[in-house]
Amino acid sequence: MKLSYSKIPLREIFGETLVELGAAHPRLLVLDADLNTSSRTVLFKQRYPDRFVQCGIAEANLFGLAAGLAAQGFTVFPSTFAAFATRKALDQVYVNIAYPQLDVKIAGSYCGMTATECGPSHNCAEDLAVMRSLPHVKVCDPGDNHELRAMMHAMMVTPGPVYFRVAKVNAPELFGADHKFEFGRGHLLREGRDVALVGTGFMTAIALGAAELLDREGISAAVAHLPSIKPIDEQLIGKLARETGALLTIENHRIHGGLGGAVAEVTARDYPVHVEAMGLGDTVFEAAPLQDLLRHYELTPCAMAARARALVQRKRRASAA
Amino acid sequence: MPCLKHPDPALLRAFTDCAFHTRRLCLELITQAGWGHLGGSFSAAELLACLYGGILTIDPRAPGDPLRDRFILSKAHASPALYATLALRGFFPIERLFTYCRLDGLDGHTQRGQCPGIEYSGGSLGTGLSYAAGTALALRLEENFGSRVVCLLGDGECNEGQIWEAAMSAAHHRLDNLIAVIDYNKVMAKGKTSDLMSVAPLRDKFAAFGWTVLACDGHDLAEICLAFHRAKYLEMNGRPVVIIAHTVKGRGLPAAEFNYHWHTHAPTPAQAEGFLADLNRTYGRAEKFSRALVAPTDGGLEAVITADLAL
Repeated sequence: MKLSYSKIPLREIFGETLVELGAAHPRLLVLDADLNTSSRTVLFKQRYPDRFVQCGIAEANLFGLAAGLAAQGFTVFPSTFAAFATRKALDQVYVNIAYPQLDVKIAGSYCGMTATECGPSHNCAEDLAVMRSLPHVKVCDPGDNHELRAMMHAMMVTPGPVYFRVAKVNAPELFGADHKFEFGRGHLLREGRDVALVGTGFMTAIALGAAELLDREGISAAVAHLPSIKPIDEQLIGKLARETGALLTIENHRIHGGLGGAVAEVTARDYPVHVEAMGLGDTVFEAAPLQDLLRHYELTPCAMAARARALVQRKRRASAA
Repeated sequence: MPCLKHPDPALLRAFTDCAFHTRRLCLELITQAGWGHLGGSFSAAELLACLYGGILTIDPRAPGDPLRDRFILSKAHASPALYATLALRGFFPIERLFTYCRLDGLDGHTQRGQCPGIEYSGGSLGTGLSYAAGTALALRLEENFGSRVVCLLGDGECNEGQIWEAAMSAAHHRLDNLIAVIDYNKVMAKGKTSDLMSVAPLRDKFAAFGWTVLACDGHDLAEICLAFHRAKYLEMNGRPVVIIAHTVKGRGLPAAEFNYHWHTHAPTPAQAEGFLADLNRTYGRAEKFSRALVAPTDGGLEAVITADLAL
């Protein structure tokens, strides 16, 4: 199976979907901190200038304004880079939004390594871990354009805070236009017996590539995509654990506290099987083009296939012993 | 609505009563909980009494009325004073005050929606003015030109950079339906504001940020009313308004006035009795506590483990 890649960047879909939702929901507001042409909220600004609020380069205030607006009954989409939404304004997001469970949908642009050349100050490998640890906040990372759009439609009819990622990427085409997104639901993209490769965001494409490489050498790898990291699809994780006994996760994030952590929390409790995580280790995403970062941090189909191969051997040795 | 320019003497007497009983109830709550912020509650007692006595357009029987004024307590550690004022004004029964700092009770810092009249989840200083500006912007977008947003800030809180982000944005968005009030009690948690991190000159700072700046004695009821008369009705000129209310931390208790020791500190029941006597002397009254005060006990970790092992 050969994947194709969208010609339309994911963030363009973010902007377009905001416009689409804005037409249907007159109480939707978009807030920006001087990044609208990067995040593509500019599309909403052009169409609905009266419902677009420029907050300046002041992220603490951005989330405070969002909370005050949401408290009066608006659904508010404050948008900035993931690094600033989660590392810089965490206190405001926690105290003013998560704690009172306000209807604020936080878009983290340029998440993970996709701030690319901006380097470690702007790349953000912590956002999933940080946001997953906040009470009442749903956390998700869409795999492709259709999924982002479906996710944004779903959050409009789900009251309460959501953090979602908008990677700066031309996403793989994983799903069709009729794709459904539900919080807490994952998707099994490929059946397999020996090992399960579990991805979130665009990294699921790496898992699909790895499964194909493994297939060539006779290793049967399932591939699952978990766009909803909190809540997470415990049933699907259980099924994969029971059927393969070995899970390998991959994410555009560090290995601590993100998808890998969330999966391991489920398996450790209910299905004690082999679980390993791929992502960023105890270091930073340096400044470089995306292709170089993926290779440098060994987040490629070849690297994943190698990790999976070793994991399958480990599982077999353990069961033989 | 009462006249704020020439308030009726009976109204001022009602404010005086409310401020006194707010202080008395704060003493009761903080003593019973063994925790709380006495100094910053006392400095705000008159401001809250006036706000809920007639300055704010708000009905305790309809605390969610969309046409109400919104009050945001950014210095959310003064929650005992706000809870007491709300209860005295009939937003909820006085008895509920005594759940302060208990499980399932009123939080140590305010939580939005936890009881009628609480609009804002706070406790992390410096965040309330942004929230208030967002609320003021929401009222504009809702075509609600009658309601005002009043945000009570501490002076120490103005150390926070976010206050100035919010001040900049409120002026930029021309939110003249926003009134910030600074409970300028000159003392922070661990010392004087002027020693720890000066905020002066607040007047010049807010003026430079594009605000209309008013000032009053924050314990003088007629002055407070006059300042709000101007802020609510005269200064709708495209600029947000700040009222710098000069206050005394711990006002009413000689031992606590301008004394940071009583920023976060609970009196013992015996100390509380002495404090009530002081308050009675200061304000010429002879009030009693509503109940015998008991200091809470917390056996902590040891109590829990010992109890389990004794099973």
